[in-house]
Formats: sequence, C-alpha cells, structure tokens
Amino acid sequence: MRESQFQEPNRFFLNMGPQHPSTHGVLLVVLEMDGEYVLDPQPVLGFIHRMHEKMGESRPCQGFMPNTARMDYVCALPYNHGYVSLIERKAGIEVPKRAEYIRVITSELNRVASHLLWLGAYLLDLGAFTPILYGFDDREHILDILEDVTGSRLTYCYYRFGGVYRDIDDKFVEATRAFIKRLRKRYDIYEKLVTKNIIFIKRAENIGIISPDMAIRYGITGPNLRGSGIAYDIRKNEPYSVYPEFDFEVPVGERGDCLDRYMVRVREMEQSLRIVEQALDTLPDGPVRSKVPKKIKLAPGDCNFAVEAARGELSYYLVGDGTSVPYRLKIRVPSYSNLSCLPELGEGILLPDLVSIMGSLDLVIPEIDR
Amino acid sequence: MMGTYEDFKTNVMNLGGDVTETDFHQRGYHLEVVLTVDTVRKFAQTAYDHGFYLVFVTGIHVLPETVEGVKTSGLEMVYQFATFDRLCRVKARVSVPEDMTVPSICHIYQGANWHERETRDFYGIRFSDHPNLEPLLLCEEDKDFHPLLKEEKKLKSFEEVSWPAQRPDMVDIQTETSSDL
Repeated sequence: MRESQFQEPNRFFLNMGPQHPSTHGVLLVVLEMDGEYVLDPQPVLGFIHRMHEKMGESRPCQGFMPNTARMDYVCALPYNHGYVSLIERKAGIEVPKRAEYIRVITSELNRVASHLLWLGAYLLDLGAFTPILYGFDDREHILDILEDVTGSRLTYCYYRFGGVYRDIDDKFVEATRAFIKRLRKRYDIYEKLVTKNIIFIKRAENIGIISPDMAIRYGITGPNLRGSGIAYDIRKNEPYSVYPEFDFEVPVGERGDCLDRYMVRVREMEQSLRIVEQALDTLPDGPVRSKVPKKIKLAPGDCNFAVEAARGELSYYLVGDGTSVPYRLKIRVPSYSNLSCLPELGEGILLPDLVSIMGSLDLVIPEIDR
Repeated sequence: MMGTYEDFKTNVMNLGGDVTETDFHQRGYHLEVVLTVDTVRKFAQTAYDHGFYLVFVTGIHVLPETVEGVKTSGLEMVYQFATFDRLCRVKARVSVPEDMTVPSICHIYQGANWHERETRDFYGIRFSDHPNLEPLLLCEEDKDFHPLLKEEKKLKSFEEVSWPAQRPDMVDIQTETSSDL
C-alpha cells in the first residue's frame, strides 16, 4: 500500500543531526525520504570517537579506570564493574563480600538513575516537556547519594581492583532507604502522567517492532531485547558478583514495540530497588578492599567479562601478555549493536515514528563511538 | 532449529572447526573454536541455526610468522557469540591470510556489518562481499590509517599472548564445567 506512494519527485535526503535534540548526542542519521516517509535511515558514527581501546593498551591496567566511566556516562558504574571484574578474573584477585554488595547497590542505583533520565528524554523526544522535570527531580536524589560516597556525580571511578574506593556509611544507607520510599510513591504520578496517557500510547504502540530473530541477527540486548519477550539478562543468565543472592524478576514485553520497551524499563526500576533493598538488609560487615599488588601482572592469554549495563550486554575482552599493560582491550558496548538495526527498523515508516523508535532504543552516543 | 550444546559442538567439528572446551571461570567463555577463512561463513551459519547472537567481531595484531616459507599477516580475527537460552559463550578465531581478506558474515548476522567496518578502520582487514566497507568510526581522510596496528618493536608472537598449552590432567575439570551448561 505504502509502496505506491513512493514517487520519484518527492525523494530527497535529510540530515537528522549531528546537532539534533532527539539523537541524544552527536549522532547523524542520513535519511532518504519520500515525502514524510523514511526510506532508508543510515546512522553516521564517529563524531566523538576517542579510541578508548588504544588508550586501554597503552597504559597499565589501573590507568584505564577513569576511561570506563566516559563511555556510557549516564550509567557509568556498571562500566566500572565490568572492568574491575575483568582484571580480577584475569589476575585472580579476591574481592571482599561487603565490597561486592556495595558494588551491586551503587550499580543498581545508577541503573535507576539512567532509566529515569531515559524516561524523561524519551518523552521529551515525543513532545512532552513535563516528565523530564519529574525524572530529573528523582534522579537528582540518586546523584546526591552517589556523590557523597563516590565523590563524583556522573563519571564515577569508584570501584578498585579488589574492592571499592571507600566504605559506605549510615548516611548513605539512610538516604538510599528514603529514596526507595520516595520513588515508590512517585510511580502513581508517572503512571497518570505517562503510562496511561493516550497521546503517548498512540506514539509508542506497535511502532518499531523488534522480532526475536532480528535481535539475534543484530545482537540486540538489554531492555530492547526483553521488550521482545526474551528474558535474557546477564545478571540472571551469566551471574556475576553477588547477584545470585538476590531475588528479582526480569520483566519482559510481548510485541517488542516502543511501548513494550518503555514498560520493561519502568518495571526494571522497581526490580533494581528490590535488589538494593535486599542488599542493604543483608549487608555483611568486613573490609571493602583486599590487598592488591601495586603492579598487576596480566598473564598471557585472553579473558572475557560480561555485565548487564543499563542498555544491555557490556563485554570487556582482554588479551594479556604477562605485563601490567593489556596487549589488547576490546570493549563491546550494547548501544552499538542496538543502533545497528535502525536501517531495518526504520524502513518505510513516518519520520515522527523514527524519532519515537530512536528514543525507545535508549542510545548513548559516546558509548557507541567510544 | 536449535539443537543441544553437544549438537552444536559436533556440527562445528564437522565443518572443520577445531573446538576446545575452556574453563569459564578463568576465561569467561566456554568454547574456543579455531577456524580458517573457508569455514568462517559455515561456522556463522551453524551458530545462527543454533540460536547464537553475535557479541562482537574484532582483531588482534601479533608478530607475523613464517609458516612453510609463507609469511603470515600477523592479524587474528576474533568473533564472540553467546545465546539467549543457555549459558554458552563461544570465541572463534581466524588467522587473516596474507591478502588481508576475510569473508564477511554480515549476510548471516546483519549486526556484523558495523563490527566489520570498525575492524577495517582499526586494522585494515578487508571483508569480501561486504555491502559497504566504508570508514565507520574514523573519518574518510584516515582511510589508510589503522590505529590498532602495533609498532614492530611492540609486537609479540601469538604464543606469548595465548594461554599455555593445555595439560592432559586439566581435562577432568573441563568436562565437569561443561556438564552444567
């Protein structure tokens, strides 16, 4: 039906970005258009490429820690987590239980902050200005909590090989509990404002359907995959840290459209809060950092470590050569694979729907460009 | 369509891949597969048929060797796959031949398109039958600049950056690991 509407005189190219609010950063999408229909959206990457992988192999492994937070700056702690766990696996470093608990608590808080930012930004893409104000209001509390203990608000460098930089205190525990209580009270507001909003539903329902097969062909992971009904979460499927000790669910959608991806993230926030709550209840005493040699030797051979970041599977792949400098460090970031399906997902749709799809994919461009 | 873990191993071995089980707690993946340029596509098809998704594609630059009078390129391709249904992570490795060309797998895994373009950017490895092998992360002017190629003096041989050859007494531990997959 739509095919017949594509007539040559109406065809043109349109540059969306690299300075476009709904590309969430410096991303350019070159659109081949026919009137208001998108024929072929091609993302153009690399505007903020910094070659993190080269930096990773040109300094001792400790020196790469700050870089890990500068890829996905919205949800940086899981990036810290993946990297320290990789080196700990490679060098056989033990981590005290309390440190692992603190890592899980802070990572999950960061995940909630990331989802809140996404929620606001996505709605802003769709033309609703109010939700981002609510989202940032809640997110601000998390940033304050994390700032007290990590010393930064965004680009954290809190974890260390063998533990964390410093212990959490009573103030942190109290503030976190108060935040959990607060956010649970806010669900009603979000539900009334967004989830049940007919204008939002019309913009998200049955738009940008990702099928399970498509997810396999492109390597789509995270909430984008779970929206399509596949309960795949590295925290459950390839358990790391102390995640197996906590009881939480992996929310999934049915159709795999924008609305499902929205619902998965909203429900994931509650699951993250549950993990934080359980971890605070059972927080063990003890040291938060084990003794680690100043110079960490990375034995010859390769090693992989995957964690569940807010956007999907983050894998660090390291090749050691017996020195403390990695011979090769590959970083597999989730948004890279998630965005690569855009040409297929955005073929023959209306331009406003493309904005909705890109918003629902939860892209962070510095992570894609690395 | 999807078979068991054992089926997958058998199928990969049948197409000529060299399969080794590895210690997941040490390496973070369960199977190591060594392929040649002729078996890359067949392997990708087998992985796809068994429901594996593509995690990443990348390269490693090591010291070129001279095997039977022929100098190798010194580049190794690494593919990683995992699956949504069970805990199984697979690393596949291919030595890049002297002509620096490896078959593209992006007709099977469309997601490989960008990974292969990135590998061309960083290492200069070319992929035959790739629909659009243009620079992705680097700019057009840097088309012939490959940042992850190491300087001659920093290169190490492939053995120096690999796990030591497996001892026969390790086999028991590995079988144990594979049974709980």
